[in-house]
Amino acid sequence: MNYEFDWFYVKKGLPQLIEGLWLTLELTLWANVIGLVLGFLVAIGMLSKVKAVVWPLTAYIEFFRCTPALIQLVWFFFCIPILFNVWWSAEFMGILALGLNLAAFNAEAYRAAIQAIPHAHTDASTALGLNALQRIIHVILPQALILALPVLITNGIGIFQQSALVALISVEDLMYQGRYISTQTFRPIETLTTVALIYFAVSFPVSQAVTLIERRTKRLLAN
Amino acid sequence: MAFVEIDGLVKRYGSLSIFEGFDLHMENADRLVLIGPSGCGKSTLLRCMMGLEDIAGGTIRLGGDGYIQGAEDGRMTLDKRVQKDVGMVFQHYTLFPHLSVLGNLCLAPVRSRGVKKSEAKDKALGLLERFGLAERANFYPSQLSGGQKQRVAIARALMLDPKLMLFDEVTSALDPELVVEVENTMMELAEGGMPMMIVTHDMHFARSIATKVVFQERGKVIEAAAPDDLFSNPQQERTRDFLRNVLHIAG
Repeated sequence: MNYEFDWFYVKKGLPQLIEGLWLTLELTLWANVIGLVLGFLVAIGMLSKVKAVVWPLTAYIEFFRCTPALIQLVWFFFCIPILFNVWWSAEFMGILALGLNLAAFNAEAYRAAIQAIPHAHTDASTALGLNALQRIIHVILPQALILALPVLITNGIGIFQQSALVALISVEDLMYQGRYISTQTFRPIETLTTVALIYFAVSFPVSQAVTLIERRTKRLLAN
Repeated sequence: MAFVEIDGLVKRYGSLSIFEGFDLHMENADRLVLIGPSGCGKSTLLRCMMGLEDIAGGTIRLGGDGYIQGAEDGRMTLDKRVQKDVGMVFQHYTLFPHLSVLGNLCLAPVRSRGVKKSEAKDKALGLLERFGLAERANFYPSQLSGGQKQRVAIARALMLDPKLMLFDEVTSALDPELVVEVENTMMELAEGGMPMMIVTHDMHFARSIATKVVFQERGKVIEAAAPDDLFSNPQQERTRDFLRNVLHIAG
């Protein structure tokens, strides 16, 4: 290989990359707000015994889990305006698609955690005179949330990485800025490596934190 | 009328029948220990009394005013006073792991009885002091030994001033050296006059804590007598067989 590295344009473009990173973080934040709240509501609905509630929710979860995030995003961007005659910004469509995708995965994480709480705790709460609602609010849900926490964070940081897809619908995120600089300057190696390292620098500490959190929650919930 | 009256209890799991007309009475001053081969329905009986199982027939009158009336269609009548008057401790520690010891003790009084937080806390600290667990008040269950967990579970049940305590094999999951501290706590409660029903496989403990021992087999009471009589001079052939087996294994 006879390649001479030249970092000049990357240095020059750094403010632009940072600007892209901010937008990426903003997308991630809002997608996580949707994912955490909607995912929770969907999980609660999934535990209902009413089939008219469970079936549509199952369809929603499976659809988002079994199709590529890329097609979901592109479908939202191109099809929703035509189908519903609404013209929302590309950023908003990106947040919506990523958020719904995340909510589907988070719903499964919440549901699995709720179902993992030993039935003995329900018996013990009943023996203590707690009614069904009190059991759920004070005994089952707090434990389930602690149990689900590592998975929720992992899913959340996964969406940070997946958000790079929005560059394809011309949202000016970190990925978009990186591609823009690399084609403008003919320096793809330097630029794209830098972009990858920025994604890594944000994700890695979070994934390390998840390992620590997981160890602590396991210890707390061990019986 | 006896303190506890179980009449004609019917309990089935699908096609498996546990009780078909089970009767048992207990007086206020009694500490009744249930013994018998595993699968004979000892734990199920306690669970029925606590209102944790649907019963298909019979009535259970408990402690104060609570009662449970079985029904074939699965719609038994459960008087809520049952859970108010009866406390239960389970085999597997059922402390809530996300709450501290104090949190475990105060949850039910504060949430289901509307006791003031400060009052519940004072009472909890008093109980923990009595059980020698005062310095563990702010620990989480994961930081306690098995014996400590069971003693906290007993304290948690006592927070609600039960008129009757049920103990379902509370030492079975413990390491042998931790059994004694839990049994001592139960003895202390017994000395304080708490009526109890206890399921245990520990015959020595049964003999020392019981005022009455009930030998049960296949959903029937085979023999019920004072502990000295039942252990030293069992009247029924099946009681003798059972005791010979468990005491031989234990000794």
